[in-house]
Formats: sequence, C-alpha cells, structure tokens
Amino acid sequence: MCTARACDKPRSCHILLLMILFKNVEIEAIKRIQNAEELIFMQIDATTDFSGIIQIAFFAFMMLFMLYGAKFQIWQMLKQVEIGLAEMRRMFVESRQTAIETFKEYGHSEEEIAEELDQFMDYFTIMPVDLDPAGILKRLDHLLDVRRDRFQEFVADLAPESSGSMNQNLENTLEVTQVLGLIYRLVRHFYILGKKTGSQITVMQIHMLMPELLLLAKAYFDAIGAFSQGKPIGDGIGPLVITKFAREFGATPESYTHEISKEVGYYTVEADGRTVYALRATGPGGTVGKPGFGVKNLMEKHGKKISRIITIDAALKFEGEELGRVAEGTGAAIGDPGPEKYAMEQAATEYGIGIEAIVIKEDEAAAVGVMDKKILDTVPEVIERIKSVILKRTKPGESIILAGIGNTIGIGL
Amino acid sequence: MGLISKLIGISLAAVGFVLLLFGMNETSVMSYVYSFLGLLVMAMGFALLTAGRPKEEKLPPPTITEIKCNDCDFKEIRDFKKGDYILKTVEEACPKCQTGMTIESVYMIREEAKKYNV
Ligand SMILES: [Zn+2]
Repeated sequence: MCTARACDKPRSCHILLLMILFKNVEIEAIKRIQNAEELIFMQIDATTDFSGIIQIAFFAFMMLFMLYGAKFQIWQMLKQVEIGLAEMRRMFVESRQTAIETFKEYGHSEEEIAEELDQFMDYFTIMPVDLDPAGILKRLDHLLDVRRDRFQEFVADLAPESSGSMNQNLENTLEVTQVLGLIYRLVRHFYILGKKTGSQITVMQIHMLMPELLLLAKAYFDAIGAFSQGKPIGDGIGPLVITKFAREFGATPESYTHEISKEVGYYTVEADGRTVYALRATGPGGTVGKPGFGVKNLMEKHGKKISRIITIDAALKFEGEELGRVAEGTGAAIGDPGPEKYAMEQAATEYGIGIEAIVIKEDEAAAVGVMDKKILDTVPEVIERIKSVILKRTKPGESIILAGIGNTIGIGL
Repeated sequence: MGLISKLIGISLAAVGFVLLLFGMNETSVMSYVYSFLGLLVMAMGFALLTAGRPKEEKLPPPTITEIKCNDCDFKEIRDFKKGDYILKTVEEACPKCQTGMTIESVYMIREEAKKYNV
C-alpha cells in the first residue's frame, strides 16, 4: 500500500495512484447512488403503477363528466320529477276515490260512478277565440254557462238522490278531482316527453315548475274533504262577512231576496241612514254564483240612487304576508275569468260611481281548504272597515252595494 | 329504533373517518384500499344518519263546530258533523235557557307556518 510520505517512487506514480483512488471513489459513489435508487425503486415500484392507473381513471372521469355531465343532470332531474309525479298520482287517485265514495251515497253503485267519473275527468272547455276580441266576454260567459249546465246535468245523473245544496257540493268535489287529474296528466306529459326526446329544455321546464305544482296539488288535495262534506272554505269569507254584516243590522234569512242573478241574492238593510244592498251567492251549497251580474242588475234596478260599490273577497297573499291580513284598494275584487268583473266595472263606470275592494289575504291552501280560525277572526275587522267606508265616503240617504264574492260552501244565509 | 340507527350511523361515520385518515398516512399499497374502505364506511354511516323514514303523513287538524245560544252566552264546541254549516239553526235547545241555538262558526286551527325573519 502506498502512502504519500513513506513512498519513494517518482511523482508520476503518485498521480497514477491518485487517479486510481479517485476512480475508486467515483465508482463507489456511482454504486451507492445506484443502490439508493434501487432501494427507492424497490419501495415505490408498485406505487408508480398504481398512480398511473389513478391518473388515467381521474382523466377518464373528467372526460366522462365533460361529455356526459348534462346527461347525468337530466337523469337526476327526471328522477326528481318522477318522485313528484308519483305523489301527484297518489293524490289524484285518492281524491277520485273520495269523489266516488261521496257520490255513492246518492243512488248509484260504485262501478257505475267510477266509469262515468273517469269519462268526465277529461271534460274541457275551449276558450273563445281572441283574434276578434269584440264581444269575447259575452261569448266566454255563454261558454261558462254551458259548461256549468253540463256539470249540473252530470251531477244530477250520477247522484239522483241528492238535492239542492248537496248537488253544488258534489259539483265542487268533481271540479277539485278534475283539477288534480289535470295537474297529474300535465306533469306526466312533460315527464314522458322529456324522457322520450331527451330534450333538456323540456325536462328543465317541468323540473322547475314542480315545487309550485306540487304545492297547488297539495292545496286541492287537502280541500277535497272540505268540498265533499260541505265544510266552509277560506274563500267563503266574502259571503260570510256579508251575512254577519246584514245580521248586525237586523237582516234574517227570510229577508234575503233570491236570484237577482244566477244563484245570487241580497239583503236590504239600513245602516247609519244609508240603504245597503248586501249581495252574496246563496249558500250553504258550494257556489260562487254570478255576483258580477248581480251588481249590474242591482244598478239597473236602483240606478242613480246607488253611490258606491264595495266588494269583499279573499285575495292571494304574498309569501311572508300574514294569513288573514285585511287590505283595501280600488276596483272590483273578483277572481272570475272576466265577464263578471267586466260587468261590475262597466256598471260603476256607466254611473260614474266609486268601486272599491276590501280583501282578506290568504294562501292557496287556506283559500280552498277548510276555513282557518285566523281568517274567521277577521270578520269583525272587515265589518268595521266597511262601516268606516260607508261613513267616510257616502252620505246619509244614499244607497250602497256591498258585494261579498266567494264560494258559499258551508255558509248559511 | 330511530336513536339506535342514528348511533350506529355516527359510529360508522367515525370508524370510516379514522380508516380514511389511516389510509392517507400509510405509504404501502394497502393505503388505497384503506382510504376507499374508509370512504365507503363513512358514506354508509351518513346514509344511516340522514335516512329517517319518510315524513309521516300528519293527519289534518280536526274541523271544529262552535254553537252559540241565541239568547244567553252558552257556547258549545264539538267536532264537525256532516250537515253542519255556519249560521245553521241547530235542533237542540240551549241547556241553560231552552231557546234555540245557532252554529256560530266552523273552522280548523292550522299549525303556525314557518316564519322567515326578513
Ligand atoms: Zn241559552
């Protein structure tokens, strides 16, 4: 072994030795590095394979979602619509059953009723053409009359042993079942159409409308019990206020004048020196009558003596507004398709008198469902408001028409 | 039943979470298996936690008929019977003064709707 100090060999040898030495070190280093690499590879050998797979999987996942994300979303929406649709179907079937049970009590067997009812479920009304609007309201009114006659005829046929006000309740029951059937068929149509065509817009449309439609269906579904049993509903607050008001000034069921227009009559009362014609549909059967034409006929009958028209009705509340809040406004508060509102406005305009409205705010469920205590409790307030309107805006000796608009189911005279 | 399934759900979720953490810290091949298993168990736990039975159909509140005596302040409250309507003159006489009675109101007391503070 050569050590530098003890060596007596020439310098060149030293260099050679050094070179060898270095070479050794170099080799050693390379070896070490190789060893280390080997070690590392040994450790993560399997892992590199896995991460490759994971990367590929991740990439495939991204691609899949980029290409088919929308499809997946549509599929999800369709599933949600399907759940709602099943709920609607259940409500429709159950309300149909309720209708059958109700009709069954009045003469025919269940099978007969079921068959007739299913045929009548699709009954429709074609709105009058509006390309030539002249006289459209008259035509619409006529169509509504014909429709109403068909409903009455149907009820009379199917429940021969029922009478007067029960007939009207049966009509209402029928109508509610029809509405539920219509909602169900409509949603089903869009659901199947969406599935068939795969059209995103079709599916999205029905998906967006779903929550509201479900609420509406639920409101009607809850209402069917009220209609079939003749319980008063929230919409009846108008007629109720009229009768309570009239009774306060001494009216009785006997002093009620019937049929000023179809299924509508009025009490004549003296209030604070004014003559008030308090008009409402005739209960306690379920009908809204034709109060608009009633007002018109009263105007024609009493002419210039009448100085103001006050309408009382339930109005749809905004979300967040209190149930049973009372509000005042201008105009005819009536929710018909048109002809009656027109008749009232026309009469008021013709005679140049004020027409105003006092409404009680309700939501859909409260309006078609059994009368809520909160709505009932507004009666005294509404009567106070009517009195103050009469005192403030009319003079003693004048006449006033007070019209309570709404369904009179379960509200006696 | 409800409480037990909730408890099982919570414990499953916790076990899953621990498994997932363990799997993430492992360096061996099994780490993937552990992570995946952890996620799966956690998902099962959460599913158990959130999956109450579908909301029970609440029966609608009863419809109430309120009858008042025409003369005195006698008042009777009972369940709605078919044929009742507001302002109907009932057949029974007032037990206090034997005069007629009238149905004053027919109504339902609904649950207070959820209030939004806006
Ligand atoms: Zn009494």
